[in-house]
Amino acid sequence: MSLFGTTSGFGTSGTSMFGSTSTDNHNPMKDIEVTSSPDDSIGCLSFSPPTLPGNFLIAGSWANDGENDVKNQNIQRRKVRCWEVQDSGQTIPKAQQMHTGPVLDVCWSDDGSKVFTASCDKTAKMWDLNSNQAIQIAQHDAPVKTIHWIKAPNYSCVMTGSWDKTLKFWDTRSSNPMMVLQLPERCYCADVIYPMAVVATAERGLIVYQLENQPSEFRRIESPLKHQHRCVAIFKDKQNKPTGFALGSIEGRVAIHYINPPNPAKDNFTFKCHRSNGTNTSAPQDIYAVNGIAFHPVHGTLATVGSDGRFSFWDKDARTKLKTSEQLDQPISACCFNHNGNIFAYASSYDWSKGHEFYNPQKKNYIFLRNAAEELKPRNKK
Amino acid sequence: MTICQFFLQGRCRFGDRCWNEHPGAGGAGGGRQQQPSGSNRRGWNTTSQRYSSVIQPSSFSKSTPWGGSRDQEKPSFSSFDSGASTSRNRGFGLSQNPFASPSSDAQKDDKKLLEGIIKDMEIWESSGQWMFSVYSPMKKKPNISGFTDISPEELRLEYHNFLTSNNLQSYLNSLQQLINQWRNRINELKSLNTSTNIALLSDVKDGVNQAAPAFGFGSTQAVTFGSPGFPVNNSSSANAQNFSFKPRSGFASAPSGSPPVFGNTPAFGAASSASSAITTSVPTFGFGKPAVTSAASFSFKSPAASGFGSPGFSGFPASMAAGSFGAPGAPAFGSGTSMAGFGSLGSHSHTAFSKSSSDTFGSSSISTSLPVSNGSTTTDNELFTPRDQLTAEELEQFQSKKFTLGKIPLKPPPAELVNI
Repeated sequence: MSLFGTTSGFGTSGTSMFGSTSTDNHNPMKDIEVTSSPDDSIGCLSFSPPTLPGNFLIAGSWANDGENDVKNQNIQRRKVRCWEVQDSGQTIPKAQQMHTGPVLDVCWSDDGSKVFTASCDKTAKMWDLNSNQAIQIAQHDAPVKTIHWIKAPNYSCVMTGSWDKTLKFWDTRSSNPMMVLQLPERCYCADVIYPMAVVATAERGLIVYQLENQPSEFRRIESPLKHQHRCVAIFKDKQNKPTGFALGSIEGRVAIHYINPPNPAKDNFTFKCHRSNGTNTSAPQDIYAVNGIAFHPVHGTLATVGSDGRFSFWDKDARTKLKTSEQLDQPISACCFNHNGNIFAYASSYDWSKGHEFYNPQKKNYIFLRNAAEELKPRNKK
Repeated sequence: MTICQFFLQGRCRFGDRCWNEHPGAGGAGGGRQQQPSGSNRRGWNTTSQRYSSVIQPSSFSKSTPWGGSRDQEKPSFSSFDSGASTSRNRGFGLSQNPFASPSSDAQKDDKKLLEGIIKDMEIWESSGQWMFSVYSPMKKKPNISGFTDISPEELRLEYHNFLTSNNLQSYLNSLQQLINQWRNRINELKSLNTSTNIALLSDVKDGVNQAAPAFGFGSTQAVTFGSPGFPVNNSSSANAQNFSFKPRSGFASAPSGSPPVFGNTPAFGAASSASSAITTSVPTFGFGKPAVTSAASFSFKSPAASGFGSPGFSGFPASMAAGSFGAPGAPAFGSGTSMAGFGSLGSHSHTAFSKSSSDTFGSSSISTSLPVSNGSTTTDNELFTPRDQLTAEELEQFQSKKFTLGKIPLKPPPAELVNI
């Protein structure tokens, strides 16, 4: 794997990859930059599970490898890339796969041998890393927006959520879904931590599923947010059981919602984030969408990334903000923690939040890695 | 004396006129302007006093929200309250009535809801956030109609598809359309408070029939508002002047001489167009009749109850201004005299009024008329009537600057004649 483009060595964490950062602001946090990042917007990031030694990062993007000129239609080869991230901070591109449409979501199987990718070409593929082969395992009538691996004691399957308003569960060996569940609207985001799954749809729909025995709808919840849902992430309680989720919307707000709280009015809350003009209330605020939420696997604190090009760390139990980053020059479109919470990866690329006018295909897209062990320690509750 | 709750919140409409006690500063609350009904207030207050004990201020409050959020007309509502009594002014939302009737809570909620919506719309527009999103005013409430949910990825996919098929222009066109739709809807929600509110409230609360041509405004009934019912008021009280509702947005408040407030019958015409937003839901204000186009709810309520005899209405119109519609009609009737007028009007079944009338006046006639009116608005678009369906006289009425009493058409004006 030759390192394309990037010449600056990764070496120590924290050094910015490209020499001069004085003029351009693509990496104000001076985080490690992943080499040979995709050429177009990164839609999703996923780290390998603990079963795999070392850390591997998968990124799905809108990067197009094939002929993208308008005359030659339908020759798209959209990339999914895999890097190995070493402890030194070095990232080594390992492999890549193609889809015929932009890749919207990626996830790993629990044993770390397979990667599942969901794409706008209405299919989902299973990528065997050992053999570097990818086969199609799912089919929908519309782009597949989310994909998650479910490992239950008595079954395992892939759950795909699509804009065709269905949630399908696939045994990878069969081309027919094990189960199809109807959604009230298009699936916009989902998260799974066995035995709970949460799906947020268009029109502010929100459904919780329980996955024991077989996936079934557990509850439909009235959305605690007023605007379109953008991302969702499940969090666990002290006993490591999923107990609630964080829901982000396009309106710079995140809602923390417990499934069975002792005191719903007090336990569930929302907070504003990714807005400009924090304290200055006279001027109208700029409000940005929350593009991704991720929970630290150990500390239980969460990170949010937004269209404003910042990421923030929060402690939901102490209800405080732990840190907000400097502003990057591009929106941050995805984020992810590795399995032990040491590495926080976030992707800086255009998320279409301002339409096509602001789309600059020439702009470089980055994935940054940050040491997350210290900054995400929870605040001590007073 | 009882302590004025509104004053404690800093929003007492009556200010130093308030009959309750304002601890600390009499003037603090007085800020609420009662402008439109400023002078009327006096008049109304007195009359309303009579009713206050009987009638719930509610109606007033409702009107305020509309006007309220933007322009502090809320205070004026108070006068209506007395008249309006009854019915949940949902629309008005403002229940600042010091008389604080039990329904005021509902009104307060409504008002808050509406205010919240307006604020949210303003923020949405100015903040640059993603525009293709649904919206709901409060958690756990259904989405407001008129907004579509499109995620950025979907939009981007569309862009790429069009790009490859070499058809970028059509993508841009449809995008522009979506943007325009969104903008229009936002402006609607921001400006047409009364009518939109009614619709929204029904949307949000009762899910009332959309069928009812929104508030009488748009529907034929609205027309009636401007109608004669008010005349009663006008002549009598100074209040009448207040009413003039202030046709706020869109409404060409044509405060005509006599029914000052309502004078805007023309406004109604305009209103109808404006009330397009309303059409959706008919807030069942006080009327309780969902059918009665929401607009009715607003204005009428208040006036009906107390309004009638009390100038209270006048205040109403002012507040109504938001809806412009609602106000005129209802308050005017409020005045007892209007009752009479109303009664007569009732026959027209100004839907909007009808409702109120029933409430306030209890005139069953009116209420009945409402349903009728509702029925009458059968045009495909509740807000407008196609030209050919109007009689010559109605057409002439629409075309004239003001409606003439006794000749106010029951049907909504045709779209072409509506000029706001």
